[in-house]
Amino acid sequence: MSEKSLHLRLGIFMSLFALFLVLFAIPTFVFAPSNVGNIILSPLFWPYVLAGLAGVIGLGLLASAFKPGADVPYEDEEDTPHPEGSTPWLRLAALGAIMVLVMFGLPRLGMVWTAMLAFAACAFLFRTRHPIAALVCAVVVPLLLYAFFAHVAGVAIPQGNFVRLP
Amino acid sequence: MSLMDSLAAGLSLVGNIEAFFMLFCGLVIGVIGGAIPGLSATMAVALTLPFTFSMAPINGILLLLGVYKGGIFGGSIPAILIKTPGTPASSATILDGHPMAERGEAGRALGMALYASCTADAVSNLALILFAGWLASFALNFGPPEFFALILFSLTIIAGVSGESLLRGALSALAGLLLATVGLDLVYGTNRFTFGDPNMMGGLNFIAVLIGLFAIPEIIAMAWNPVAHLGRTRALGKTKCTLADYLGSFKSIIRGSMIGVFLGSIPGIGAAPSAFLSYSEARRTSKNKANFGKGEIEGVAASEAGNNGVAGATLIPLLALGVPGDVITAIIIGAFMVHGLQPGPMMFILNVDIIYGLFIGLIVSSVFLLVVGSVAIRGFKFVADVPKRILMPAVLVLCIYGVFAVNNNIFDVGVMFVMGWVGYIMMRNRIPAAPFLIAFILGPLLEDNFRQSMLMSGSDPLILFRGPITWFFWLLTAITVFAITRSTLRKRVPLS
Repeated sequence: MSEKSLHLRLGIFMSLFALFLVLFAIPTFVFAPSNVGNIILSPLFWPYVLAGLAGVIGLGLLASAFKPGADVPYEDEEDTPHPEGSTPWLRLAALGAIMVLVMFGLPRLGMVWTAMLAFAACAFLFRTRHPIAALVCAVVVPLLLYAFFAHVAGVAIPQGNFVRLP
Repeated sequence: MSLMDSLAAGLSLVGNIEAFFMLFCGLVIGVIGGAIPGLSATMAVALTLPFTFSMAPINGILLLLGVYKGGIFGGSIPAILIKTPGTPASSATILDGHPMAERGEAGRALGMALYASCTADAVSNLALILFAGWLASFALNFGPPEFFALILFSLTIIAGVSGESLLRGALSALAGLLLATVGLDLVYGTNRFTFGDPNMMGGLNFIAVLIGLFAIPEIIAMAWNPVAHLGRTRALGKTKCTLADYLGSFKSIIRGSMIGVFLGSIPGIGAAPSAFLSYSEARRTSKNKANFGKGEIEGVAASEAGNNGVAGATLIPLLALGVPGDVITAIIIGAFMVHGLQPGPMMFILNVDIIYGLFIGLIVSSVFLLVVGSVAIRGFKFVADVPKRILMPAVLVLCIYGVFAVNNNIFDVGVMFVMGWVGYIMMRNRIPAAPFLIAFILGPLLEDNFRQSMLMSGSDPLILFRGPITWFFWLLTAITVFAITRSTLRKRVPLS
């Protein structure tokens, strides 16, 4: 990847994002009382200023993409090879799915059990070379954290609907 | 209150085993966190933060400061032994530290890194004690226009120096400012980007955002390539750093410490630029200039002094002005907030006991660092052997517990995950995360001071340029933008 392609991509994104903010997001999701006389003091003013700056930065990025010397590739790009038969995008999707399942599991299974499952799932997703140790840690780490936060820090850790811990 | 009264008040807070034990634990955690590549001092501080909620404010803050200082030194260990900086600030240490390790002089390089770090840390703490109070009393004269100009300057400088490109840094800062607008309007109380969700009315939780930005992307990066962290650890070797080595590099250590103090006290710059500047100054002035980059011990001393010299100085703007000096102090500000403390000039009046307690703790931390660092150098083998593919799931679980504990709210865990993906996308696109976080913290302050200024002046923008203090910050902002733009343009001109 070169600075040119990166700035081109970011510039287009920021310019479109600025337009999205000005034309849709701010008018729809930012509310101002009707009796605000001075625009500078309105709740809308600051978001509009930021949207304008986003546009300026977007244009700046686009302009910098076409400056001389911008098409030289970065020297420090990722050079570590992936493991054989590796499917990085699939692993990213799987990690995303684990996060979604954590959000789903926290109120239902409770934090401790969800964390145990998430720990084990992540360790195997990362192809750990120590599966037994990973399983032991998957059980011990959430329990220790539960003990600290629930009994020392006094945090009401979600217990879930099934198995409740003391 | 006289100096002696203030010192006595501070001593009454920290004069117990618990406070020093927390500081010591912090240093141990920090050195280990900094020594594990991919974990970093920033992540170590962020992950320790939730454990401080149940502690007395002074103990919690000392624990975090210990992690900070330990982490900055700890980063040099993998930089020297496996050519992977534990923290970005240790990147300069690789230049001479790793060639020394390849020659079988890792023990000597690490010894010098430790002594230079402790010396610079002590100098930096001294600067903090001398200047923070003075700056705070000066800052009592600041009104909203002055604070607006100061915060704008801080954001400009962090956007400019924390990455490779001013524009990408500005993009990051802007995203942080935009995210900070989520919640109820500061003056009218109307909804801004809350999407009708009551969870968002108070704004996004700061700790969820910071842990999401600094811890989760590393876990996602591990999913992308689980073997990227594997490296070969060098042996310590038999040579050790001698007094002659230390004295031979003393000038560079003191110069590096001063550079660290100066750059650290400017809000937003942080340790990495300081380490590189200190290194390049040492190379420029050294008699052994030709050896730099090939394993020169003075190079290790200079870069370590540069990055540790920042550690105390970044607390100067934090304590005196309420503006974080770098991303780690931005996290530490979270600990102050959680305990109901507001860093800034008023803290020197209202919480002078905490301020002096911190000063005492920081002085002791330099001595503790020497002890912890000496042990850590020998124990690195064990730290390096911690399987990262088990460590990262543990970090994930710790993040979930820690973020939940802030408000007992599962929504915050979701915010952390989303911010994690945002952070990962930023990392892949070479957008620095530090301006995002600092802008997110300073955003409400910036807007609040702007609106207060407008209220004071009847919406006359000239109030933002009302006196010498605002002129000074505007001038600094202009110089920063000019200097960064010029250096960017120069870098792009191809060499003929």
